[in-house]
Amino acid sequence: MLKRVFGADPAIAARRRHAFARGLRAVAPATIATGTWGLVTGVAMVKVGLTTAQALGMTLFVFAGSAQLAALPLIAAAAPIWVVLLTATVVNLRFVIFSAGLQPYFRRFSLGRRLLLGYITSDVGFALFLSRFVNAPEEERGSLEQVWFFLGMAAGNWVAWQTMSVLGILLAAQVPGAWGLEFASILALIALTLPMISGRPALVGAATAGVVAVLGAGLPLKLGLVAAVVVGIAAAMSAEVVLERTGAGA
Amino acid sequence: MSDLAIWIIVVGLTLVTVATRSAFLVLGDRFKLPERVQHGLRYAPACALVGLIAPELALADGTLALSLANPKLIAGFAAGAIMLATRSMIAAMAVGMLAFTALRLLAA
Repeated sequence: MLKRVFGADPAIAARRRHAFARGLRAVAPATIATGTWGLVTGVAMVKVGLTTAQALGMTLFVFAGSAQLAALPLIAAAAPIWVVLLTATVVNLRFVIFSAGLQPYFRRFSLGRRLLLGYITSDVGFALFLSRFVNAPEEERGSLEQVWFFLGMAAGNWVAWQTMSVLGILLAAQVPGAWGLEFASILALIALTLPMISGRPALVGAATAGVVAVLGAGLPLKLGLVAAVVVGIAAAMSAEVVLERTGAGA
Repeated sequence: MSDLAIWIIVVGLTLVTVATRSAFLVLGDRFKLPERVQHGLRYAPACALVGLIAPELALADGTLALSLANPKLIAGFAAGAIMLATRSMIAAMAVGMLAFTALRLLAA
C-alpha cells in the first residue's frame, strides 16, 4: 500500500514520506477549524432537506464548504439550478486567484495532475504552501519536497473535513428540528465572511452588497443576489478610487 | 427540489470546484487575467456571502424586520461581534445559537 503511494525507489520514497509528513504536521492545527466547519456543513445539508445519500454525495464530490453552505439557502428556496451554480462559482472565485498563485509551482505537471492538485486546494493549504515556499529559489519550484508537502496538507485537510462532515450528516437526523440548527449554517457563513472584509473598500463593497441583496430579495431567480455581487464590487472599487484621491488610504 | 435537480447541482458544484481551483493551473501558460479584473475579483466572495447572509437576517417572512424582536438579526450580530473579538468560529457560533435559542424562547 505505502509502496503504491510513495513509489518503489526507497530513497525517493523516503523523501516523499518526509515531505508528506511535514505537510500533515503543518496543517494539523487548522484541522480543528476545518472539522468544525465540516460538521456544521454536514448537519446543515440534511436540515435543509437533502437525503442522506444526496448529502454524502455533495460532501464527497463537491468538497467546498463555503460553496456548499452558500448553495443551501438557494436549494431551500428552490432557486433555479443556474443561480445555485453561479452563486457557488462567485463564492469560489477566490480559488481562481489562488490557482494563479500556485501555477508557477505546478505548471510542469500533466493536465490530469494539475486538475487534481487544483481540486484538493483549500484556503488553509494555499496560505500555508505559499507562505512556506514563496522565498524558495525558483529552480526548486515544483520539487518533490514542495509537491509532497502540498499533498500531505491536502490529505490531512481532506480527512478532517470528510470525517466530520459525514459525522454531521449522520448525526443530523438525531437533532430535533425545533433546535433551529439550520440557522447554524448562516452563523457559519458569518464567521467565514467577516475575516474576508478587511480594509475600507471591502467594507463599503460588503455593506453595499448587503443592502442591495435585502432590497432585491423579492426579485425572481434570486437576481437580487447577482445584483448584490455586481454592485458590491463596483462600490468597493469606487471606494478605492475615492480613498486614493482623498489620500485616506485603504 | 426534485431528486434529479439535487444531483444535477451536486455534479455542477463538483465541476465548479474543479474549474475554479484549477483555473490557472490549466490556463496559466496561455492566458493571464488583466490586473484590474484580478483586483476586482478579490471583493467578489465577500460581496456574495454578505448578499446571502443579509436577507436571512434582515427579513422575516419576506418583509423587512430590522427590530430587536427579530431573533435571527440579533443572534447574527452577536455571532459577528464574537467573531471579530475572538477570531474563533466555534465561540461565534456557540454564542449565536445561544442568543437565537434564548430570544426564540423569550418570544414564545
